[in-house]
Amino acid sequence: MSGYACLVVEDSPMMRQLIVFALSRIKNMTVTEADDGIVGLKKLAQTRFDLIITDINMPIMDGLKLVRKIRSDERHKDVPVIVITTEGSREDRERAMALGASAYIAKPIQAPQVIETVKELLKIG
Amino acid sequence: MSSRKARAPEQPADLRAEREQFVRSFLHKGVELTEDLIRENQSLDQQVRQLQDENVQLRAQLASNDAIRELLQKIEGLERDRKALLNRSSELEREFEQRSELHAEVEHELNNLASLYVASFQLSGTLSVGRVVRHMCELLEQLVGAQSFVIYIVSADGTRATAVGARGMQVPTGSLQIEDSPLGDVCLTGVGRVLEPEQPRKSGEPLAVLPLVFDGEVVGVISINNLLPHKRGWANVDRELFKLLSAHGATALIAANLYAKEAGPRAALHDVLFHLENERVRQLTEAESEAGGDV
Repeated sequence: MSGYACLVVEDSPMMRQLIVFALSRIKNMTVTEADDGIVGLKKLAQTRFDLIITDINMPIMDGLKLVRKIRSDERHKDVPVIVITTEGSREDRERAMALGASAYIAKPIQAPQVIETVKELLKIG
Repeated sequence: MSSRKARAPEQPADLRAEREQFVRSFLHKGVELTEDLIRENQSLDQQVRQLQDENVQLRAQLASNDAIRELLQKIEGLERDRKALLNRSSELEREFEQRSELHAEVEHELNNLASLYVASFQLSGTLSVGRVVRHMCELLEQLVGAQSFVIYIVSADGTRATAVGARGMQVPTGSLQIEDSPLGDVCLTGVGRVLEPEQPRKSGEPLAVLPLVFDGEVVGVISINNLLPHKRGWANVDRELFKLLSAHGATALIAANLYAKEAGPRAALHDVLFHLENERVRQLTEAESEAGGDV
């Protein structure tokens, strides 16, 4: 296995850093960061990713719109997408899952939970 | 006489008959004896064969007993090995459990350290007042799991507080009188006041009040009103994050506020040498006055 490429779309630098830290614990994982949905789409247009992690609440383009765009694109429609939600926003979570998100993680995020979800989706033993 | 004469011719015949009888009887007995001997011989022969068969069986049984004994010994040996392996397996299982627990603890600590590192990195990584407040809010929301809270700065006399940031509620406008309130108490003592979520609270009483301290002086307070619904209580790392916020939050806010008056990073450092010299002179003066006092 040559490695995995993950795109993290998150406007909060603190959250991004935490997610990147968690992903760095997975072997052969390279991470690309984007601070909003538009930047995320640009990165998706340039590179092929094995996994996408996106926050829902973001300015400019939110995570739900990004999930819809990803799923409507032939190139990325099968790429697993994890959405980061706040525990209270059940509606957002359900909408994201209905739009084709593969899993969700509620804030405050914990590195072990991120690692476990990513490994499960990428089928890393 | 006559009877003697009459019997005379009969005597030899009797004798002959008697002899013949005897011979026949003798022969008959001989035959019988022979037949008996033959029968006995046959019986003995049969017994010998039986004994031989029994002997063969006994030998076979003996051999089989040896094999059984050998097998039993092997079974005993295997049983011993099995017990030893089971003991070893239990030992390994215990070791594995201990290692798993240790691994989980290390993972947990690493996660906590990462949270602390990220919090510290983000707070110290900016000199913009807005970003400092945003990072403080994110730290409380994303890392601690606070749902509604307000960050205040405190007036110079420590009696009033003005909100500079909030989440989960409107930022209160104007300044609040904080004397005789949990905020005022924390401002006065510099010691945080953290209640457990299940602890009974008065209406409007914050769940936690944390001081923002610089150089021993409280410059602000954070009032946390509620935690996210799935967060049941405080974790050890939350208390560490409070300490970090208390010290680094205050420093970051002061630094950002001072920097806001500067024209840029280089301009902000133009009088560093002047301040270094001032500090050196002050330290020397203090050392001299201490030495004079000792004399």
